[in-house]
Amino acid sequence: MAKPIALLAVALVCVMAGSTASVRAQETPARPDFSGVYFPFNANAAPAAPRGAGTPPRPVAVIDGRAGRPETAPKLAPEYLAKWEVMRQSRMAGSSETDPNANCISAGMPGMMSMTYGMEIQHTKDKITIYGELNDVYRRIYLDGRKPTQRTLDDPTFAGYSVGHWEGDTLVVDTVALREDSLLDLFSPHSDQLSVHERIRFTSPGVLEDQVTSRDPKALLEPFTQIRTYKKASPPNDELREFSCAEGLSLVK
Amino acid sequence: MRARLVVIAVLLTATSALAHHSNSAFDPEKVVVLKGTVTEWKWTNPHVWIFLSVDDGKGGKEAWEIEGRPPGVLARSGWSKNTFKPGDTITVDFSPARDGSRTGLTTRVTLADGTVLSQVSPGAL
Repeated sequence: MAKPIALLAVALVCVMAGSTASVRAQETPARPDFSGVYFPFNANAAPAAPRGAGTPPRPVAVIDGRAGRPETAPKLAPEYLAKWEVMRQSRMAGSSETDPNANCISAGMPGMMSMTYGMEIQHTKDKITIYGELNDVYRRIYLDGRKPTQRTLDDPTFAGYSVGHWEGDTLVVDTVALREDSLLDLFSPHSDQLSVHERIRFTSPGVLEDQVTSRDPKALLEPFTQIRTYKKASPPNDELREFSCAEGLSLVK
Repeated sequence: MRARLVVIAVLLTATSALAHHSNSAFDPEKVVVLKGTVTEWKWTNPHVWIFLSVDDGKGGKEAWEIEGRPPGVLARSGWSKNTFKPGDTITVDFSPARDGSRTGLTTRVTLADGTVLSQVSPGAL
């Protein structure tokens, strides 16, 4: 008799353990895997006209400030607005000296998340690495609970130092240690106090959204938020290519 | 001596056109369409270049150097290192340089058989 009771007890424990695991699974939403190649995508844009011989060429986008400062641009403190005006005059005169892309320099965070020519995300349990084709840039987001050390804070970089944690199916990322000489949106200057807060999630299958909020108590009058969306690529367009920008710079003597 | 100076002048012009620069060098409000003969096709980072010989309308030829998007973007749009070869006749639509030099930024290319090569990346739709 002792043996059947023991077996029953084991069975009960197994059932209880199973139901506990099941409850846990219900309480903890599945964390998405962001791995893949993505291209920027405007979910609200009108459908593209079919391309063919009769299609007018797409105009070249030029942002040099000749139309003034857009309403949607970050709201700069006077000292930084004056810096922007200097850059604007330089760009309108045809100079590329303040354009990081023209100089093969990383746009840095948060501007690099425009990912104009696509990005590849490698997602593991403890770290996400994002590689961008434009200027061969990359950034890492640590998910293992580490925090930036003083040495990191004293050594700012274009991509900065990013740590992330999950809130349900949304990855929340905070980035610090950003170089003061990068540009917020490829055109707006910022201070050494810039920090970036992101909320990254799938809004529908294959559509990734990054809500990017920049804060800078010295340069920005208010937080600056951008919503970026990207669409996951399928074969054969799910491969990025090397950019090797310096090949162009080497032609400048 | 004079010939040497001309060579130097041509080299300087070519260097300046090939240097990396921002898009503000081009006028996005204008599109110029030129038909010509490919003299060279550079599949280079960070931008490709089409060298084009175009009739000047006076019995002579003009040399144009027209820039395109990066190879990665173009490869995903169907272009390749072998898209053109010297001697091909093509029609190029481009935004011209603001300074009037014979260069610009390509918006599309039409091949002799009518095939249109756009340069829209799959994600840029």
